Amino acid sequence: MSSSQRKDLGRALCIITGASRGFGRTVARELSRLVKPGSVLILTARSEENLRSLEVELAGSEAGKSGLLVQCVPADLAQMAGLQSVVSASRAAFSEHIDHVILVNNAASLGDVSRFTSSFTDMAEVDSYLSLNVTSCLCLTARLLQALPPRPGLCRSVINITSLCALQPFKSWALYCTGKAAREMMFRVLAAEEPDLRVLSYSPGPLDTDMQLVARSSTADPDLKKTFSDMFSSGQLLTCEASCAKLMKLLLEDSFTSGAHIDVFDL
Amino acid sequence: MSDINSTNPRTLCRGICIITGASKGFGQALAYQVSWYLEPRSVLLLVARSGPLLQEMKEELQSATEEQQLVVHCVAVDLRTKEGVDETVRVARQEAVDEIEHVLLINNAASLGDIAKFETFTNPDEVNSYLSLNVSSPLALTAGILQLCPCRPGLRWSVVILSSMFALQALPSWVLYCTAKAARNMMFSVLAKEQQHVKVLSYSPGPMDTDMQKEILLLTNVNHNPMPCHESAAKLMKLLLDNNFSSGAHLDFFDV
Repeated sequence: MSSSQRKDLGRALCIITGASRGFGRTVARELSRLVKPGSVLILTARSEENLRSLEVELAGSEAGKSGLLVQCVPADLAQMAGLQSVVSASRAAFSEHIDHVILVNNAASLGDVSRFTSSFTDMAEVDSYLSLNVTSCLCLTARLLQALPPRPGLCRSVINITSLCALQPFKSWALYCTGKAAREMMFRVLAAEEPDLRVLSYSPGPLDTDMQLVARSSTADPDLKKTFSDMFSSGQLLTCEASCAKLMKLLLEDSFTSGAHIDVFDL
Repeated sequence: MSDINSTNPRTLCRGICIITGASKGFGQALAYQVSWYLEPRSVLLLVARSGPLLQEMKEELQSATEEQQLVVHCVAVDLRTKEGVDETVRVARQEAVDEIEHVLLINNAASLGDIAKFETFTNPDEVNSYLSLNVSSPLALTAGILQLCPCRPGLRWSVVILSSMFALQALPSWVLYCTAKAARNMMFSVLAKEQQHVKVLSYSPGPMDTDMQKEILLLTNVNHNPMPCHESAAKLMKLLLDNNFSSGAHLDFFDV
């Protein structure tokens, strides 16, 4: 790894979850501009319609016209079949010409923030939340690491889209904080096990997305709710593009400590 | 109501105490120690899968605490199931009479999970099952217990969850255990922030001579010099009796 910034992310195989909207969609667009011709983007999300529109957009872009392959894999990552379809597509796209694998674990859900911790008496609800936000992330990453094994000249980067909520508790956000804290530890273990992997937990900051809309309209804790709606009304929310640019810079510089938690406001 | 600041010995008041994973190891050691400090007509719920082991404990405890009139209930359930959690809450609710001064829940039941490289965890059923027992179950149980009775002055609430230094420190090949412990710590931190009247504690007991430690030795060949359970249980008791800890804190046996 050289200390001067790379100009591109190589001939890459990128897998992006939750790519249909919000931050994931922006990551897909930005990565498409930074990877060399012959690269492949595997976009996954549950919404086929939104993925297809992104696919069309990227195919028509400069990158698309210069040899970037974009493949949509509509899938529910909490189901075995969903995991298998993403892994199969990735394996099929993985050729000897690929020198960089980039997995962006972005898909996530907020959970019900309109309730407090003592209301979560239904195990099935918590199980379902953890299944999407923790299990599917662990199993997808594990399966892809097995399907796209190390070889000389291949760099493998695993990104976990995290949050300040992974590090600090927030009232009425039990599920989200718990899921993010779990993922953060999960990826720290991965980083400790595999020194050749580039593992990054990137916290994108408060973004102007559908998730933010739910946060500012449904949060049970009045102070926290006000904080979110004030951020929105005073224009303090970040665009996905602004935050994504920071993530791209981190990837190009490639000098982060594997397993680190880096926040958009740290840069 | 006893005044814990008076010259009388410190106690856990007249309480209802629920201990999960109570049939062996740390849970069992804790049950005995808790029984010494509960005032007359307190209720102790021992929760575990093994009915026979719990029954044995009940008999020993009741003969040792005859004068104390300690009521011991065995709740033989599988906490991996909704039915198990709901049954535990149902029994607790039955016993939570108006004169109760303290509700004390000890989320001790947990499992080690497979110790293996991250890459091997390709099966979502295995991971979901692990997270269900170690994260969803204590959350649902705690939520159920917190709804046992309305808050009132004179009613003390303490919720403990067993943690580990590996809630804070990543250990290669321990992804399931570390992830679940980190999750548990966070969910209890959120609870502590939300509920000012509930004392919440994540207690890391240190390595103890339990079946879990035997499993660790078998799987990793690493001997952590485990201590007898009662030693660590005594530290937790001291924390609960002193009741000086910050709600939401993660405290380790070796720090206290």
